[in-house]
Amino acid sequence: MPHQCTNCGHVFEDGSKEMLSGCPDCGGNKFQYHPGEVPDEPAVDDAEQSEPPEPEGGSVTGAVGRAANRVRDAVSSGPPSTDAVSDEDEATDDGATVDTATGDDGATVDAATGEDSANATATSDDEDSANATATSDDEDAVPQSGGPTSSTADPDRAGSGAAPETEEVERADSGTDPAVDGVDTGDTATTADAADEAGVQASTADEEDGAQADARSEVVDMSSLPDRADDGRVVKEPDDSEDRPDIEDLRQELNDQFESIRIVAPGQYELNLMELYDRQEYIIALQEDGQYVIEVPDAWEAPDPTETE
Amino acid sequence: MGLFAELRDSVSRVTASLFADDSEPKRIGIYGPPNAGKTTLANRIARDWTGDAVGPESHIPHETRRARRKEDVEIKRNGKTVNIDIVDTPGVTTKVDYSEFLDHDMEKDEAVRRSREATEGVAEAMHWLREDVDGVIYVLDATEDPFTQVNTMLIGIIESRELPVLILANKTDLEDANIQRVSNAFPQHETIPLSALEGDNMDEVYEQIAKYFG
Repeated sequence: MPHQCTNCGHVFEDGSKEMLSGCPDCGGNKFQYHPGEVPDEPAVDDAEQSEPPEPEGGSVTGAVGRAANRVRDAVSSGPPSTDAVSDEDEATDDGATVDTATGDDGATVDAATGEDSANATATSDDEDSANATATSDDEDAVPQSGGPTSSTADPDRAGSGAAPETEEVERADSGTDPAVDGVDTGDTATTADAADEAGVQASTADEEDGAQADARSEVVDMSSLPDRADDGRVVKEPDDSEDRPDIEDLRQELNDQFESIRIVAPGQYELNLMELYDRQEYIIALQEDGQYVIEVPDAWEAPDPTETE
Repeated sequence: MGLFAELRDSVSRVTASLFADDSEPKRIGIYGPPNAGKTTLANRIARDWTGDAVGPESHIPHETRRARRKEDVEIKRNGKTVNIDIVDTPGVTTKVDYSEFLDHDMEKDEAVRRSREATEGVAEAMHWLREDVDGVIYVLDATEDPFTQVNTMLIGIIESRELPVLILANKTDLEDANIQRVSNAFPQHETIPLSALEGDNMDEVYEQIAKYFG
């Protein structure tokens, strides 16, 4: 997370060795480091919470989307993955139109589902916004859920990340709009109930995929981080959130393994001499804010320096 | 194709001129912890044999934050001539803290900047050690305990690279200097006492340089 290619914005995990040979996307060899990013994130979250509607939409769609997913899993306790896929396909096909078309009949049940899902994900923050989305819903739902998608459609995401993102949005649509679930279950009432059930199961259901399971085990603040990061400068793989539970431990471990210069504070550094010696590239310039410039050697091999005679 | 051949020829020409020639000066890195007197020694050697200095000296640690090179220093000893490039490197340490500069009448901003540059300097020094030196003069402050992580690690690296190394126990002009402690710490290497500041025992230093790096 903290390393970012200054050229194309590709983000690397703290301690990633991938970047040692240059950015795999663009070949760039300048990276900046965001040291405070991960620990600071809850604070950033709160700050952003009150800011523009887009991040809000992102978290709500996320929360509602997860609830919807739970509904789906709860209802179709058979093979969830294929169901989900077919769901998504349907949603992809008619997500927007279903939304607007069924706006009227969806409205009341909608609100209930929205609330439940917001509660189910156990956040006080999102409840209000979830209600807001759910009640004002159907007209808003499209632009809101559309917002994050378009804003996060970076070059990076376009390739691999686009699918999960739209999937999430579609789920959000289906979550706020039971009509889509109705296609599966044929019964909106059941869906609403199932949503409650899903809320209860929130912490135990384990048949979801990794990112969702993780998102559930976390507070929503954390799980909505990818979206927030997208709204900011940093593009992030959805899977990155898997590392978050013990990010501090992981960071420590990676630091021990890898970091050659550790910035303790501005003007305070710890140096791992062996790492500095072992690395072929070297750090040309450190900057106050934690950014640094490294030289990545490419085709040129240094002559064998052990030849002393 | 023609371009490629031309390029290849020019590369091999350069390579040949760099590495095939035995009379090419050896690149001798002056390494050691901060404030051991590396720059004072580099200046002493440069002044003695070329008349120029290498860089400014000071009592404040990390005065040298970029490796400085004095090329083609010709040292004559017992009828033998040794050509070396002297590389004065920033002091190597595992921790750099701006607050230690604050004691030297420095503003915080400047101290932070110095600390950052010093850190870059260490990275550079380590990089040079890996890539670019043919021999090492390891300078220690004889008034300080030589058994430190940095000294052990650097000497270990130098040994693993099989580079010729001379250990200089500097600051013999100071009362606390304990040369024996230094030579005990690294018994496998030649230890030469000197005062780079006063110029004491430089003859032996040059003799050993000629012997080790000639």
